[in-house]
Amino acid sequence: MTDDGQDDMLTVGLGSAERELLQAKLGLLPDTPPPHAVWQRIERQARAEGLMRAPGHRTSFKWLSGAGLAAAVVLAVLNFEALPPQATPEATGSDRTFPTEPSYRADNRAVRVRKLHALMVESQLLEQDLRALPSEPVVVRAGTAATIAAVQDQIAAIDYRLNYAPPRLTHDETELYWRERVRLMNLLVQLRMAQAQRNAF
Amino acid sequence: MSKFTDIDIDSGVVRRAARGDAHAHAILYRAFSSPVYSICLRFTRVPAQAEDLLQETFMEVIRSLPAFRGEAPIGSWIRRIAVTKALMFLRSAWHSRGQSLDDDWDDLTPGRAGALGVSAEPDRALDLDAALATLPPVGRAVVWLHDVEGFTHREIADYMGKTESFSKSQLSRAYQRLRPLLEAETAATASTAALDDPVLGQC
Repeated sequence: MTDDGQDDMLTVGLGSAERELLQAKLGLLPDTPPPHAVWQRIERQARAEGLMRAPGHRTSFKWLSGAGLAAAVVLAVLNFEALPPQATPEATGSDRTFPTEPSYRADNRAVRVRKLHALMVESQLLEQDLRALPSEPVVVRAGTAATIAAVQDQIAAIDYRLNYAPPRLTHDETELYWRERVRLMNLLVQLRMAQAQRNAF
Repeated sequence: MSKFTDIDIDSGVVRRAARGDAHAHAILYRAFSSPVYSICLRFTRVPAQAEDLLQETFMEVIRSLPAFRGEAPIGSWIRRIAVTKALMFLRSAWHSRGQSLDDDWDDLTPGRAGALGVSAEPDRALDLDAALATLPPVGRAVVWLHDVEGFTHREIADYMGKTESFSKSQLSRAYQRLRPLLEAETAATASTAALDDPVLGQC
């Protein structure tokens, strides 16, 4: 229990009987089990990020090659954008090339790429969740519909910025946009879910 | 008192989960998902938000488990992650409303109460869960952390990025709000006890 209970007794002005009753009743409140779908979402995301494998199951070549290929493409694109121009052998007059940045920077970049990849996966999963929801009802609340439309517009603007609009984004900017996209997708799924639940009653 | 620390998990399961074993992760989830979800639900009062926090908590557990050294019980470690996520959510929700963590008591008019996920009718709160719903989210979180999870005011202050006085003040105000309900309950218990008493019952 807390080590500052005596202090509380002096400041809160709650009688000891009431306080004991409160603590006893709080402790007896039952836990609420979460919906089963949450574990499925966690499992899907963990597998997509390569954090979880089946017990005693060796990673299949198919999955490994697919994930490896995807990661390689992402890494190649990001490295191409993020790498500073390296000195060529002609420029230095030497056959040997030396790393132009310390190794911890390279490690750090790998972590950043993983973070970005995780955001992309999360965004994709949210898209799936959204598609799994029943289609939008014919009769909707004007306020909810307006909010949903505004969120969709913001997501569309981010998609345009990520895919088409010049100038090219830095890695940090790309991550920021993806993070915002995940946040908005979360919001959209919640709004659509609330809409679907209201419609069900 | 906390359910997190009551749950006993074999260290072999934790080691297997740290290596990414899906079955071991499922065991951890089965053991801790209800307490994590409950704490998130009590803080937010919105099931969809509590589900998101549960997912975020377990993703953090899965990502960070390889670095878990086992110095504290796994339950305390998971609880710390869940509490941090839930409090971060409360802080971000407040931030998005342009409010600080300090002023949510003053604005608790009946009109705003619903918007904050708070019951607008404390008089009709018939049980403790309903009574807790009459508190603003931060006050409710402080009561829960202090009285159920056994956190000290210093620990709560650290989690919330506030001072110990802030935590004490939140608890005091929450108790003041809950006091009429608790007094009524205590009086009812006392009168029942008196009626059961063979001597006092005749008066």
